[in-house]
Amino acid sequence: MEFNPALPIYLQVMTMIKRDIVTGELKPGEKLPSVRDMAVEFAVNPNTVSRVYRELESEGICYTKRGMGTFVTEEPEVVGRLKAEMAGELMDQFLEGMKRLGIPGEEVIQMVKERTGC
Amino acid sequence: MLECREITKTYGRKTAVDHVSLQIQPGRIYAMLGPNGSGKTTLMKMAVGLVKPTSGGFYYNGRPVGQNSRREIAYMSTEPYFYPWMTVGDVGKYYRDFFEDFSQEKYESLLKRMELTPDLKAKALSSGMMAKLKIAVTMARNARVYLLDEPLNGIDLLARDDIIASVIEAAEQDVSLVISSHLVDELERVADEAIFMKESHLVDVCGVEELRMTQGKSVVDRYREIYGHGGEQKWEN
Amino acid sequence: MGKLMKYEFRKTMFSKAVLLVITALVEIFYLFGVFLKWEKGLGIGVLGLVLCASVGIFYIGIESLLIWHRDLNTKQSYMLFLTPRNSFQILGAKVLENGISLFLAGVFFALLAAADWTIGMIYIGGLEEFVDLLQNFAASINVNLEIPVREILVTFFACIASWLLMVVTGYFAILLSASVLAGKKFSGFVSFVLYMILMWVDGMFLDLVPALKDFTIQYVLIILAALLLSAVYYFVSGWIMEKKLSV
Repeated sequence: MEFNPALPIYLQVMTMIKRDIVTGELKPGEKLPSVRDMAVEFAVNPNTVSRVYRELESEGICYTKRGMGTFVTEEPEVVGRLKAEMAGELMDQFLEGMKRLGIPGEEVIQMVKERTGC
Repeated sequence: MLECREITKTYGRKTAVDHVSLQIQPGRIYAMLGPNGSGKTTLMKMAVGLVKPTSGGFYYNGRPVGQNSRREIAYMSTEPYFYPWMTVGDVGKYYRDFFEDFSQEKYESLLKRMELTPDLKAKALSSGMMAKLKIAVTMARNARVYLLDEPLNGIDLLARDDIIASVIEAAEQDVSLVISSHLVDELERVADEAIFMKESHLVDVCGVEELRMTQGKSVVDRYREIYGHGGEQKWEN
Repeated sequence: MGKLMKYEFRKTMFSKAVLLVITALVEIFYLFGVFLKWEKGLGIGVLGLVLCASVGIFYIGIESLLIWHRDLNTKQSYMLFLTPRNSFQILGAKVLENGISLFLAGVFFALLAAADWTIGMIYIGGLEEFVDLLQNFAASINVNLEIPVREILVTFFACIASWLLMVVTGYFAILLSASVLAGKKFSGFVSFVLYMILMWVDGMFLDLVPALKDFTIQYVLIILAALLLSAVYYFVSGWIMEKKLSV
């Protein structure tokens, strides 16, 4: 697992988990590994993983059952919301890059159409 | 809690550690960083009483370190130190004889992970295998504080992962870990805090996630700021 | 402390085993000499056994000092000083283990000598003469029962006390060189010179005991003085180890 050392690790781990939820790698209601196992798996600090779980919980993506562990939410709209959120982020990056290259919006649309064959 | 107050160690005219004050909190992993000769080893040795300070002192739960603190503080030195007649199994027996918190079960599972067998002669081990043995026997203790001096030194990449995993597994809520290294990037993901030592002084102690969040800097970036270069990892390995 | 002593014994096990093997070999020479009336074998046996006993006991003492030197001046020191034991226990375990080893070696060689002597008497001198001799010996004991027992006891304790003083003086000399010189250059030589000086001081101290007419009382005083001095060395050493020694 490669991380960008200049960005907070907990954000990077959160992004990975969110992506796994969106792609279906993690199913709704599925139990997440314990903090320790997760820390070992990613080779990161256990406190970082605790924080990841806390943040995911406050965003409504996960919930904790006392003594049972942390689970992916079963609310169906969350996956959609995450997908929209992540797609938005990718889009921002993409458009930002195009803008920096000086490519106008219409041309971008044209390029996307050509590339995707739509 | 382990702490030192204004601790100084001089060898003749040479000062190894100069007025360092530091607190090691439970539940945190510390990366002690700095070039060779910056005082990391001497500081750790004073924490277990192997080296006596010239002035100042180390305290564990408010009392000077000594016989009793060694029951709860596990220290792993850089150099091999086992008796020449010992096998890997004998090393475990020795620890079991002296440390109540030593778990034979844990030792055996760590040996398995490190691919060591009890019948191997400690004296005949390669430096990489010796490093694994040292970490296995140290982490097999259920200590409250672990002080690991350069555990990643001279170890191949795969074994590094094993060692880092055993460190993470030991990180309980009431446990502190201090890991010294001159390989800065190795500990970047694992540490809560970075302790920077330079020329026998303590320069800075900072939270590594905080560093990334508030300043957008990696530990390596901070290391460069402090030492004026990117550490020794570029040419030492 | 038992565990510390166990490992002290483990460190010296090899040389003790070697001593036992050599002793067994010369014993075989001796027994062949006795049974086959083989003079050369008998000579080698007797000479070898005497050498084994004296050199062996001497070496057990010296080896304990050599190990202490290594335990202070090499990384091996961590094995002792990382344990949750204090300096007095660490040092005490060494003194005790060595004392017990020397005592047992002494008893072993004394018993062996007695057994060999008996065997020799029976097979060479003939049974009749041997019994005669035994009777003579018994008679001599009956006559002077008081004095030899007391003298033997006093001499025995004097041996123990002087051995103890020699060993703790040695430990102290080695410790001083290790803590003051940080045990690096010439630490072995410096320890030896210090040891010689300290032994001379010990001698001066014991000479303070006045010459008395009563042999027993004088020896008891000397024993007490040696014990007192040993205790001083032991506590000062423990204190230095606890407060000053960096390994």
